[in-house]
Amino acid sequence: MSTDQSPKEIGSLSFGLMNPEEYREMSATKVITADTYDDDGFPIDMGLMDPRLGVIDPGLECKTCGKHSGSCNGHFGHIELAAPVIHVGFSKLIRRLLRGTCRECSRLCLTEDEASEFRSQLERTRQLGEDLNDVTKSAIRQARKQDRCPHCGEEQFDIQHEKPTTYYEVQDVLHSEYSEMVAAAMEGRPVPQMDEDPESTEREPMPPQDLSEETGIEVSRINEILSGEFRPKEDMRKRIETALDIDLTEEDMNKLMASDIRDWFEDIPDEDIETLGIDPAKSRPEWIILTVLPVPPVTARPSITLDNGQRSEDDLTHKLVDIIRINQRFMENREAGAPQLIIEDLWELLQYHVTTFMDNEISGTPPARHRSGRPLKTLSQRLKGKEGRFRGSLSGKRVNFSARTVISPDPTLSLNEVGVPERVASEMTQTMNVNERNLDDARRYVANGPEGHPGANYVRRPDGRRLKVTEKNCEELAEKVEPGWEVARHLIDGDIVIFNRQPSLHRMSIMAHEVVVMPYKTFRLNTTVCPPYNADFDGDEMNMHALQNEEARAEARVLMRVQEQILSPRFGENIIGAIQDHISGTYLLTHENPRFNETQALDLLRATAIDELPAPDGELSKTSQADGGADGEPYWTGRTVFSELLPDGLELEFTSSAGDTVLIEDGQLTEGTIDEDAVGAFGGEIVDTICKLHSNTRARQFVNEVATLAMRSIMHFGFSIAIDDESIEPEAEAQIDEAVENAEERVQELISTYDAGELESLPGRTVDETLEMKIMQTLGQARDSAGDIAEEYFQDDNPAVIMARSGARGSMLNLTQMAGCVGQQAVRGERINRGYEGRTLSHYLPDDLSADAHGFVENSYRSGLTPREFFFHAMGGREGLVDTAVRTSKSGYLQRRLINALSELETQYDGTVRDTSDNIVQFEFGEDSTSPVEVSSDADNDIDVEAITERVLDEEFADESEKAEFLSREAVETNISEHQDSWKTGRTAGVGTEVESDD
Amino acid sequence: MVDVTDHELVPEHEILDEEVLEEVLGEYDIDRTDLPKIKRLDPAIPDGAEVGDVVKVTRDSRTTDRAVVYRLVVE
Repeated sequence: MSTDQSPKEIGSLSFGLMNPEEYREMSATKVITADTYDDDGFPIDMGLMDPRLGVIDPGLECKTCGKHSGSCNGHFGHIELAAPVIHVGFSKLIRRLLRGTCRECSRLCLTEDEASEFRSQLERTRQLGEDLNDVTKSAIRQARKQDRCPHCGEEQFDIQHEKPTTYYEVQDVLHSEYSEMVAAAMEGRPVPQMDEDPESTEREPMPPQDLSEETGIEVSRINEILSGEFRPKEDMRKRIETALDIDLTEEDMNKLMASDIRDWFEDIPDEDIETLGIDPAKSRPEWIILTVLPVPPVTARPSITLDNGQRSEDDLTHKLVDIIRINQRFMENREAGAPQLIIEDLWELLQYHVTTFMDNEISGTPPARHRSGRPLKTLSQRLKGKEGRFRGSLSGKRVNFSARTVISPDPTLSLNEVGVPERVASEMTQTMNVNERNLDDARRYVANGPEGHPGANYVRRPDGRRLKVTEKNCEELAEKVEPGWEVARHLIDGDIVIFNRQPSLHRMSIMAHEVVVMPYKTFRLNTTVCPPYNADFDGDEMNMHALQNEEARAEARVLMRVQEQILSPRFGENIIGAIQDHISGTYLLTHENPRFNETQALDLLRATAIDELPAPDGELSKTSQADGGADGEPYWTGRTVFSELLPDGLELEFTSSAGDTVLIEDGQLTEGTIDEDAVGAFGGEIVDTICKLHSNTRARQFVNEVATLAMRSIMHFGFSIAIDDESIEPEAEAQIDEAVENAEERVQELISTYDAGELESLPGRTVDETLEMKIMQTLGQARDSAGDIAEEYFQDDNPAVIMARSGARGSMLNLTQMAGCVGQQAVRGERINRGYEGRTLSHYLPDDLSADAHGFVENSYRSGLTPREFFFHAMGGREGLVDTAVRTSKSGYLQRRLINALSELETQYDGTVRDTSDNIVQFEFGEDSTSPVEVSSDADNDIDVEAITERVLDEEFADESEKAEFLSREAVETNISEHQDSWKTGRTAGVGTEVESDD
Repeated sequence: MVDVTDHELVPEHEILDEEVLEEVLGEYDIDRTDLPKIKRLDPAIPDGAEVGDVVKVTRDSRTTDRAVVYRLVVE
């Protein structure tokens, strides 16, 4: 960091055109030769690699500023262009200016009144912060309407723009075959140049004398015109035209050269420019036409030396070489007096090179190519697009102290932790400021060297010298370390790092974790943090960043740690909680409230902080069948075991996703099943409540322990699933077959009523649509009833059923499809209707409307699909895949647009939400100034103000009497002044009457 | 023609008096151009609203019962 300059705040930026004089002034040298290096490899003076343009080779000194490479930013040079050239970036503005200003006096073709109207409109839009272009565009449109300049009366012509840099003036001039036309008209012949239908037009012949009389032109002149010796001037032409009823003009495209345009723009007065929204103090329009071309410093286009010693130049340098070559040829040709045609060709070539130097992706111009055929990357390509300077190098860049590897689960970690492979930990370092108290540690790290794990990679002496710790010097170096040194030590357990998974769609995609250094090569996470990252372990990779200063580490710890992100601002409930097997585990533990003996209960709780069991719930007895033996042994129920994790005093009542009422009284689960609605991610009641009523720390502890308890419990019971778990008895299968057959029969009935023309159409539908709807409905019912039958035959301890009921994974619908019937396949929400004309496959008769001909799958996944069913199923499946692919790309772009639109909005201290220019977006944040994380409520769950006040009061007072005393307390009258009453009312009561004088 | 102001989903719009407006602008310490905008031809605003007027919109809110928003009438 530079220490000789104080940091400055940028007040404002202004954009404008640059004066060519300024280019010359700031130029370090004029560039005249296209060559870069001479035979000895030294840069040529006044060449493109002139040492005054900056240095890139280390060790050399800059001829302009004397600095070395690295500290010298480089200096611009310039090329004097032999002829003015248009700047492509301004081609639209040039067109506008040409169209809006007079070709003769260069003034804006608007009356004073109109101009001042536009000026005030500009002022207003500027104030409102809206787009100035709308105003200037309409000003130009208005000016363009004028046929003649309101100031000098000159006739105005249309300007045509041929992209990218050619402008034409469309003028009416005397037709090239005017003499033939006049002769034909005088002889009464059709005029071939203008009469489209020579047969039908009839003309009176007119001898020269008559014409002379009518137009007042001498007969000799007319003869001269007829022979083509005299070209009639405008007013003479018009007289002949009216007399003969012909049109002697033709459109002529008069090309405007860049120099003409420059002259034209030079005469535009300052006040007219202002009307067009341009500040004349900063930019003059003639500066759009380049006469000088700035040459970027060599530092912006460094040449690289290849392995074989050959130099390879940057694309920009190549382009500049082209420009200088053509520029020189142009000058030589002009001095040699070459024909106009050649000069114009060279001019166009120069224009092409300057154009592609700025932008090589202009439509209508072939891109300039490298020798290999690759298009050159010129100025605008460096800035544009995702990999461009803005999006690729400024908004986002590659950083140091980051790591990326595959993730895998580790249920023994806390959700706040991340397992970091040793190799990563010994590459990414933290700076340790050595002092008396950590001196021993620091020396030990250095002594361990860069390879041994809690080691160090670098040390920095107080004199600022940075030394690399190597295997050889580490012992020696360790002894030299003193307070005041800095040691870059490896990551160790407890360091805080930032962890991230792309796409980073919400703030929980980047969270801070504490390091736990581990063997092997993957990052390890607690499975409960999968939902916020949307991570799974099928090969996902994640990034880790080591923080480099105390402030960042403190902020990360306080604001970004996983436990601080348990509640999601998206819906105000927890996003971290039990998932999948955790939920199956708690379900098994609490649903039927099984009993455990002491060993079992302790085993369940062994990974938690609980090391003592509560009083047993009873004693096992032989008579009870569930207890299976062991007489007289004390037992604990699943709910009791689970209750050990709950904070004391927790009171809660809600309905579980299994359907029963969960009742928690004073931190004891007395009734109900613990499943997804209780402890799950995405709004598990207990996690949510603990987080809001107790603390994030308590919630973290709870989630961790629920996860471990659940794992223990699912391991205790054993949990597996196989194809046989989805099989049902033959009688059930028969029932399902019957139901499906019934449905198909009903479909046939519908079809026959339709064929008989007796089907009544539903309101707003055609008969065809009605039939389709009814068939879909019938078949949907068939699948549902198949599902119901299948469900009836499933045992309650069926693992698939447990997962579906508890919300761990899968749904009853999935089960139905596996065991009963897959059901109707759909594409675009309709039965499958595509394929051949009138039929889906050639296996069916044309116009067969039956269920199986349009994609109804009556088999189950377990029984297997027929080939035709399989084909229809693939059609439906394909649609789903395409949908997800399209959705992700669409939502990515939508996300980007939203971020750009909302990124600078900020809630101010007065509660308003404003953008950077102080425009108000919301008068009150969210209209209620509340954070969704702190308070959650929705349509059927109001904020319970009563309960909250009750709780706050209960916490405030030790017992009821104290609370009652406080609540019944009346405001004590104060007696600080006799005038207090007047202060309240703001009235000065009895001034002078009761106040005694001071003396 | 349908008068949209009668529709139940269209919140109440009223033109603000100069004095009240001054108070509002003072409260937020802003110019009127910093307010959100509304088009003069917006069918919801009362007749007679001119460009430069400020309209007070009182609407039902999902988070509070009533939410008040001020909008500057623009072209």
